[in-house]
Amino acid sequence: MRGTDRGNSFVLPALLLLGIITIYPVIYVFYLSLHRRLLIFDISRYVGFDNYLFLSKDDRFWNALWNTVYFTSVSVALELALGLSIALLLSRPFRFKGVVRAIVLIPWAIPTVVSAKMWEWIYNTDFGILNFLLGIKINWLGSPFWAMNSAVFMDVWKTTPFVAILLMAGLQVIPREIYQAARIDGAGGWAVFRRITLPLLKPVILVVLIFRTLDAFRVFDAVYVLTGGGRQTPQRHCPYTPTRSFSRPSSSDTAQHYRWLYSCVQEA
Amino acid sequence: MLKPSIISGLLIVLLCACTAREVEEKGIITVVFKHGKIAGDPEPFRRLLDQFERKTGIKVKDETLPASTDEQHQFYVINLEGKSSDFDVLSMDVIWVPEFARAGWLSDLSGLLPESARNEFFPGPIQAVTYNERVYAIPWYIDAGLLYYRKEILDKYGFSPPKTWQELVETARYIMSMERGLYGFIWQGKQYEGLVCNVLEYIWSNGGDVLDDGKAVIYSPENIEALRFMRDMIAEYKITPPLVTTAIEEPTRHIFGSGKALFMRNWPYAWNIFEREGSPVKGKVGVTTLPSFPGKDSASTLGGWQLGVNRYSRNPEAAEKLVNFLTSPEAQKTLALTIGYKPTRNSLYRDRDLIREQPFIAGLYDVFMKARPRPVSPYYMMMTQVMQPELSAAISGIKSPEEALDSAQKQIEYILKVEE
Repeated sequence: MRGTDRGNSFVLPALLLLGIITIYPVIYVFYLSLHRRLLIFDISRYVGFDNYLFLSKDDRFWNALWNTVYFTSVSVALELALGLSIALLLSRPFRFKGVVRAIVLIPWAIPTVVSAKMWEWIYNTDFGILNFLLGIKINWLGSPFWAMNSAVFMDVWKTTPFVAILLMAGLQVIPREIYQAARIDGAGGWAVFRRITLPLLKPVILVVLIFRTLDAFRVFDAVYVLTGGGRQTPQRHCPYTPTRSFSRPSSSDTAQHYRWLYSCVQEA
Repeated sequence: MLKPSIISGLLIVLLCACTAREVEEKGIITVVFKHGKIAGDPEPFRRLLDQFERKTGIKVKDETLPASTDEQHQFYVINLEGKSSDFDVLSMDVIWVPEFARAGWLSDLSGLLPESARNEFFPGPIQAVTYNERVYAIPWYIDAGLLYYRKEILDKYGFSPPKTWQELVETARYIMSMERGLYGFIWQGKQYEGLVCNVLEYIWSNGGDVLDDGKAVIYSPENIEALRFMRDMIAEYKITPPLVTTAIEEPTRHIFGSGKALFMRNWPYAWNIFEREGSPVKGKVGVTTLPSFPGKDSASTLGGWQLGVNRYSRNPEAAEKLVNFLTSPEAQKTLALTIGYKPTRNSLYRDRDLIREQPFIAGLYDVFMKARPRPVSPYYMMMTQVMQPELSAAISGIKSPEEALDSAQKQIEYILKVEE
């Protein structure tokens, strides 16, 4: 009895700290969302769920949400499929394995802003290497459809190595003996993959999915740099508003209710 | 080892002597004046401030803010919300005054501009600096949208400058069919404040508006028609090249200035550049008020800058004196003659010296008389952020004018609801 009491009091500081830095802000943000505030005019009014109601009727919000969901699901699915294939390939023994593994990681190691800028040039209509190699002339970042998929492609290129390296680590902890036993029982490659590799890799896959889904859902920098957040091209009119609101103290109110909306920026 | 300490000691004394408070104790007051970049040569402007210093014994420290007006706005908001007294006089874009006044950052200057003196100024700027019937800034210089046209080309085909938008379309279409490689009509359509200025001119010249008695009225048949007309000039009549949807003032000025366009909407500043030695269009440019829709009045969007006094200033009287001096007829005349700032006082448009030096200025009187301020509201800066993307979507054909204005209407209503 005494022992557990002591234990609790040791954990208490950590719990308090967590409470202050995570639980309090979450509650406070929710509290703020029930208010309309304009700091410069000293306006602060309780409005209930009005802000949410407004968002639910705002087509920019739904557009942004749909774009975010599309971006997340497509990019994470592709990354998982590609990452798993690469991980399986790279866990086979071959020469220069270490070197190849290091090379594969390069896209992940490049700072996002740099790689986004690089892709902006790759996608350039007139001077971009993509159009040059394909021998066509598509304005990749000019139309909503292509811009969105170009952003997805860039994200897949950048984060597949991350997925691959995590899955590779997962593959390494699967005991060799199980594979040997399966072979002795006469299991083929596909059966081994489906019955052994996949189930034993599941915990790691789950972790990868959580990481990647969260990351993709809140992506900002990559898309902002790639398409300028829609600043230059009127086609991407939606993202501009929230990014500007952020930089403008006078519209703290707008900024506030765009805090939920900031994913809108990825409306490529 | 003694010497360095003496030198640093002296330096400290010198530095102290330079701070405002020390100077004040000796009876010399320093006023800090924040403003955007002075166009062209800064020398005449400094001479004007020197003149003020000699006259009043008040020292003026003028400090230039970053070039972009958005950054200037941000500077003021951050510093004034923090009750900064680091500056006394501030120059403000015409759309900021109600916001700053509502936030309580500006001294009431009604005393400097009594009711009787207000008709010495153009009505637009007076409306823009008045909030709750009090005056919070004095109009310093003025701007308004104009229609530039190529005189000699219109003459060649026997056209006169258009009075209605429809006439402009017909004139441009006819001349474009005769002259190859000439754009018909260019304006500013990028997603930025200038787009709102442009669109308002069509909305107003069709009898529409954004706010009426504090209520949002942007979703109206007149406004839809006006916005559709702008889109039609690009997509239907093809007198406006799609490049305007990403153009601001300078690109359009360059295109027109190199002789590649028949009509252009722009601010008065472009005129002096067209008339410079070596300009391909020198002597070939005419200027007139913007066209309107049939049976309606022409309207141009008011621009320009106003001077106000920081509420937290330690020297409000001295600051007021500087504002009074810089907006006086003499100072406005000097600034008009030297750096081309257009006076806000209407009597100067009959001034002999000014007309002799700049004959163009007399013709601006009618335009400035009719210039209308953008919706005068403390919430304008929020409203324009709503309008810019919607209007941009409409003129580039991503949304229909109905959809864009319907959405803008709902968002503006939501913004204004905060006051209820």
